[in-house]
Amino acid sequence: MTIASMRGVVKRYGSYVALDSIDLDIHAGEIIGLLGPNGAGKTTLIGTLTGMRPFDHGTVELFGQSKHPFSHENKEKIGLVTQEITIFEELTAKENLQFFAGVYGLKGEVRKQKVREVLEFVGLSDQANKLPTKFSGGMKRRLNIACALTHSPSFLIMDEPTVGIDPQSRNYILEGVKRLRDRGTTILYTTHYIEEIEAIASRVIIMDQGQIIKEGTPADLIQTIQHEEKVSFEVTDPERIPEGSLEKIAGVRRVLTAGNDITVISDAGSGNLDRMLSIIKEHTGVLGIQTERPNLEDVFFTLTGRQLRDKGEEQ
Amino acid sequence: MRVLSTVKFTLLRMLRNFIVLLLLLIVPIVLISLFSLILSGAVTDTGEPYLKQPAVSLVLCFQLFGGSTVMYMIHSELFTEHRARMQMLPISLTMYAFSIMLCGVVYSVMLGVILMTFTQFVLGLIWEHWLWTIYLITLMAILSSVVYLVFMFAVKVYKTAERLSEVYGIGFILLAGLFFPMPDHAFFRFMGSYGNPLTLSTIAIHEMSMNNTSKAWFAANILLAATIILFLVMMVVGRRRFMRDRV
Ligand SMILES: Nc1ncnc2c1ncn2[C@@H]1O[C@H](COP(=O)(O)OP(=O)(O)OP(=O)(O)O)[C@@H](O)[C@H]1O
Ligand SMILES: [Mg+2]
Repeated sequence: MTIASMRGVVKRYGSYVALDSIDLDIHAGEIIGLLGPNGAGKTTLIGTLTGMRPFDHGTVELFGQSKHPFSHENKEKIGLVTQEITIFEELTAKENLQFFAGVYGLKGEVRKQKVREVLEFVGLSDQANKLPTKFSGGMKRRLNIACALTHSPSFLIMDEPTVGIDPQSRNYILEGVKRLRDRGTTILYTTHYIEEIEAIASRVIIMDQGQIIKEGTPADLIQTIQHEEKVSFEVTDPERIPEGSLEKIAGVRRVLTAGNDITVISDAGSGNLDRMLSIIKEHTGVLGIQTERPNLEDVFFTLTGRQLRDKGEEQ
Repeated sequence: MRVLSTVKFTLLRMLRNFIVLLLLLIVPIVLISLFSLILSGAVTDTGEPYLKQPAVSLVLCFQLFGGSTVMYMIHSELFTEHRARMQMLPISLTMYAFSIMLCGVVYSVMLGVILMTFTQFVLGLIWEHWLWTIYLITLMAILSSVVYLVFMFAVKVYKTAERLSEVYGIGFILLAGLFFPMPDHAFFRFMGSYGNPLTLSTIAIHEMSMNNTSKAWFAANILLAATIILFLVMMVVGRRRFMRDRV
């Protein structure tokens, strides 16, 4: 069953094209990992998919409805975890959840039970009566997620739910997402952390500059670049290697320099490691060499020639 | 009406804003107690306690600032990053905004009534027309939220709206001539009488206590008319702002 679909959706901010003809189908039971660098248009895509932001062209269909996709009836089936933390600071964790549960019409004992269950789910049971002002960043994030769960949405949209949190909270969240999937929730999960996508996604959609540039299962995507090899050199002074000298070697596809690391991607079986090494050694010192198994990061790099995240942007 | 379920939490949030409680309740209580101490039961020739005039002014003055909570809450929920979450809820955001406004007015009136109760039962000042006074406090509270919201909707930068709202409050207190007399000029005469909500409500309460019912109603109705007109203005600019921010 198709939960949501977008056809030819174009969204502009002034003259800037934020979404460039997006086609997308989300099926029941999937965990879609929406991957893209800062400014790719992930939040904008979520905004148009949920009716929060008007768009210029195309159609959106939710739960089989294309005429009134953003009706209150459909909204009740969707849970949105916002990228920014949007909880009420003056209300305790429990009251925050009661607020949202109430808006969806939950009352009395049912509401009580649901609030308790959700608190348990995000591991905040013992913080239930505390104000979020006393919370750590990770706890606020978890409450932010919990607020989207009280009405048991069948379609959960999570916009970078793990930004800036500790590894422990992150694992907790990822485990939670898997448990929700096991209960049949369809999930659209946005991030720029590759590891999260590899851990949970059944399908990956890679976005860049307002376009979907690739989609498939994580294994499929990695497969598409299996015909490549990746070697990283740690050198003393990358500046001293003449521009373009590595690119000229037979079989080399791309060269990336970041700090003291030079990464070279070549066709599989090019057998050009020797040549590379001798060129590098001619100009600067080599501190280390590493060959790596390709991952989704490399898929993105191969497609765009850029890294998904700037080095040093960790957390 | 799903919005009704949010009312309890809106009121809770208002009550937990201790700074507002301090400024709009504790400060006037301290001030009126001081006045009471200084005037220590003195009465005018007509037998009215000297405390009456400052008490009325104080109760009404603080209503000029009552809209700040409403402005803050509606701004943060519909015009900041919270908006995305609120927009996804299956409720009408217009109704939600009205419910916040209503809570704010009720809250502000409640503070006014507490102040009346305090002056009557602790300081011994008799308020003759409770209902009439509460009606005027209510009008002032509604007017204040309406005016504050007009500012917030009409100017882009929230800080500017905050400054404007302070000008509204302090400005009308000054124009009413409560601190020092205003120059004798047509503009100031108007802004110190029928062009000033603070003076209008003071006149209405004063005239009623003198049993000049028609004069009292006249002043109150001007206030009511101004509130209704500004309410309509608020609807127009509010809708425009909400749509413009919907990018
Ligand atoms: N309200 C807006 N007005 C104008 N431009 C906007 C607006 N919102 C987003 N943009 C622009 O549209 C592009 C996509 O933004 P969007 O927030 O969708 O990216 P994102 O993929 O969610 O990025 P991030 O990972 O940083 O959250 C960016 O270049 C951004 O500057
Ligand atoms: Mg985003």
